[in-house]
Amino acid sequence: MKATKMGFGLLLVMVLIALSACGSGSNGSAAPGGESSAAATGSGETEAPYELNVAFPIFGAVPSGISEVEKAISDLAKEKINVTVKLTPISIGAWTQQSNLMLTSGEKLDLLYVSGTAFTGLVSKGQLLELDSLLNDHGQGIREAFDPQFLKATQVDGKTYAVPSKREMAVDYGLSILKRYTDKYGIDPNSIRTLEDLDGLFETIKDGEPNLPAVLVPQSAGISFVDSFRWFDPLGDSIGVLPDFNGGLTVTNLYETPEYAEFVKKIREWYQAGYVMKDSATNKDNGNELIKAGKGVARLSNLKPGYERQASIEYGEEATVISLTPAYATTSTVAGVNWGIPHNAKNPEKSMQFLNLMYTDRDIVNLFDWGIEGRDYVKKSDPIIGYPEGVDATNVAYNLNLGWMFGNQMLSYIMEGEDPELWQKMEEYNANSVKSPALGFSFDAAPVKTEYAAVTNVINQYKLPIETGSVDPDKMLPEFIAKLKSSGIDKIIAEKQKQLDEWKKNN
Amino acid sequence: MQKPTAPKRWLTMKTYAPLYLLTLPGLLYLLINNYMPMFGLVIAFKDVNFSKGILGSDWVGFKNFEYLFKSSDAILITRNTLLYNAVFIVLNLIVAVGVAILLNEIRNKLLARFYQSVVLLPYLISMVIVSYLGYALLSMDTGFLNKTILPALGMEEIAWYNEPKYWPYILTLVHTWKGAGFLCVVYLAAIIGIDQEYYEAATLDGASKWQQIRSITLPLITPVIIMMTLLAIGRIFYSDFGLFYQVPMDSGSLFNVTNVIDTYVYRGLMQLGDIGMSSAAGMYQSLVGFVLVLLSNYVVRKINRENALF
Repeated sequence: MKATKMGFGLLLVMVLIALSACGSGSNGSAAPGGESSAAATGSGETEAPYELNVAFPIFGAVPSGISEVEKAISDLAKEKINVTVKLTPISIGAWTQQSNLMLTSGEKLDLLYVSGTAFTGLVSKGQLLELDSLLNDHGQGIREAFDPQFLKATQVDGKTYAVPSKREMAVDYGLSILKRYTDKYGIDPNSIRTLEDLDGLFETIKDGEPNLPAVLVPQSAGISFVDSFRWFDPLGDSIGVLPDFNGGLTVTNLYETPEYAEFVKKIREWYQAGYVMKDSATNKDNGNELIKAGKGVARLSNLKPGYERQASIEYGEEATVISLTPAYATTSTVAGVNWGIPHNAKNPEKSMQFLNLMYTDRDIVNLFDWGIEGRDYVKKSDPIIGYPEGVDATNVAYNLNLGWMFGNQMLSYIMEGEDPELWQKMEEYNANSVKSPALGFSFDAAPVKTEYAAVTNVINQYKLPIETGSVDPDKMLPEFIAKLKSSGIDKIIAEKQKQLDEWKKNN
Repeated sequence: MQKPTAPKRWLTMKTYAPLYLLTLPGLLYLLINNYMPMFGLVIAFKDVNFSKGILGSDWVGFKNFEYLFKSSDAILITRNTLLYNAVFIVLNLIVAVGVAILLNEIRNKLLARFYQSVVLLPYLISMVIVSYLGYALLSMDTGFLNKTILPALGMEEIAWYNEPKYWPYILTLVHTWKGAGFLCVVYLAAIIGIDQEYYEAATLDGASKWQQIRSITLPLITPVIIMMTLLAIGRIFYSDFGLFYQVPMDSGSLFNVTNVIDTYVYRGLMQLGDIGMSSAAGMYQSLVGFVLVLLSNYVVRKINRENALF
């Protein structure tokens, strides 16, 4: 009897503990809802403002001053469309996994950054909502901000699933190098027009600086030199590309083209001559950090108007930028940075309304881009701003510097020192770029996903070593091509061609 | 005349009822965490579309399994996984038992505890940190080996992250360094449980240390060894992801010797994000492990009934 009583008592205690754990969990999540409804009744609203969870990646640490920015955005949004905003910044290293988790677990998520590479995958899994009717009802500002040809880049099967951010829509590639080296050796940036011209530049610097471990560093972690110097339209993933911008629509195996073989040979020459950082294939750091640490003095990368100033800020000293290709607009460049509404958004109309504000409302855009007026910046003469007394780029409380991500960058203020005509130049840059004939086409890999997984593995194995010059291309390139073929790359290319031809018929 | 079993059974149940109740939370947790998610096995056979939900998505039969077998890498990754795990099981066993026996011999209890902690410490270090420790040694530009040790020995620098041939040894070394400590603690616990009288009797009979180990220690911890080995065999198709992905710094040149099923699936599906295919891989791994555990247990049972797990 006594044992049984004790037993039941024990059971009761266990169940209570388990229940209280569940209870406190739900209480925790119920609390913010309760707060916002209390605030709503306080301000006399007829309904509680809906809280939007906005997730996006960041490329450094979370800024210390972000909570005030979040509050300011939230207050403005509450005034205009009766929503409060919660910002969820996630480190870029964890972005793919975390965003995947948020989408698959049905966590509360209302507005999501969508990278160009993730876009088709998310659409084919039904994780993004169709936006056309929402854009018509609540997103007119977004439609007006774009050349309609650019908006096609985020469509699949004629339906829109994401909206690109308005920034530079094209890309040209070139070299950014610390200015003191071009000055020291009297090198005129205008004399360098092609990749071959770089030979002389690197040789001069390497000979003159025996203590420098290398001249050229990779752009970032996991990025090869081909990624930083694209003469082709990658059609999303570089598996089957348009080999040039002359108007042809034949999908080709990039790795079999003579241009590719030439390029990797040149990089190999540079590697063996000591111009290229030896650990490039396994590099895990951002190129800026490598340059700041003295591992090199230059890197190839994608450029845009105003890049020189951006590079100078990132390197911590002045940089010269030499463009080596014309500006191209492809689906990847237009739809490289987008916003989408996830399938688990509970109030898509509000999500779209807030997104619309990000493309039309100057105050909200500048809160996202620059932070709080007075604390993080002061207005000089519209649209120029500067840092307040005692604040500079290294200690400003809100230093995300992700203006290209948040909505319409053309509405953003311009930091002093930057070209005041930057946005005009950017509109011209976009308008004058060479548009790829495949602009607007996105490949859906689902029909060939078996081969896709195998080919992705082969590419992961050979790409970085070959494209950073770390291995001998005469030996490895034929091996690479053979392995790609046996993993089914031709099937993928045939499928891509088929999809491209069909898309072209309707566009 | 009346059945004595019914009240007796009731009495037994009443006496043990509190113990059964104690198991309830654990069983509940096991049910929720291990058995209920088994419904997710269907994901491996479906083409999951989130707008239709998991149950509403289309069945695709074995299509999600194809990529594991069709590619030219399929044999390679299976070979790598099996060979590495076989070596790991055997090597870790030998090293762990050896170290446990040695630790048991130490008279000074304080020192014994200290050594035990030191041996266990690598197990607690994250694999990412270990990979950077490796990088500090093996980096081609600034590594300790390339800059200090090899020149001192008069040898040329080696491009460690580009040469596959060293990596089976490097990975085995790192794995044993990291994993043996944990196993050692388990075996040490078993060894401590052996009655001292056996050893005293053996010493009286004039047995040497080595003979004592062979005849007393090893046979008496055999049940534990078998149990740990069978458990390890059950995981023979799984690999320590950190070991095969982080330590080689994800270097493509090394894939032929460092790609195992887990890393292959990860790399292949990073772009696609297809959870049907990754579930298929997980199912493949656990199925093979399950069959192997049953087989091994059967073999052990044939040899010595008591030592089998079930």
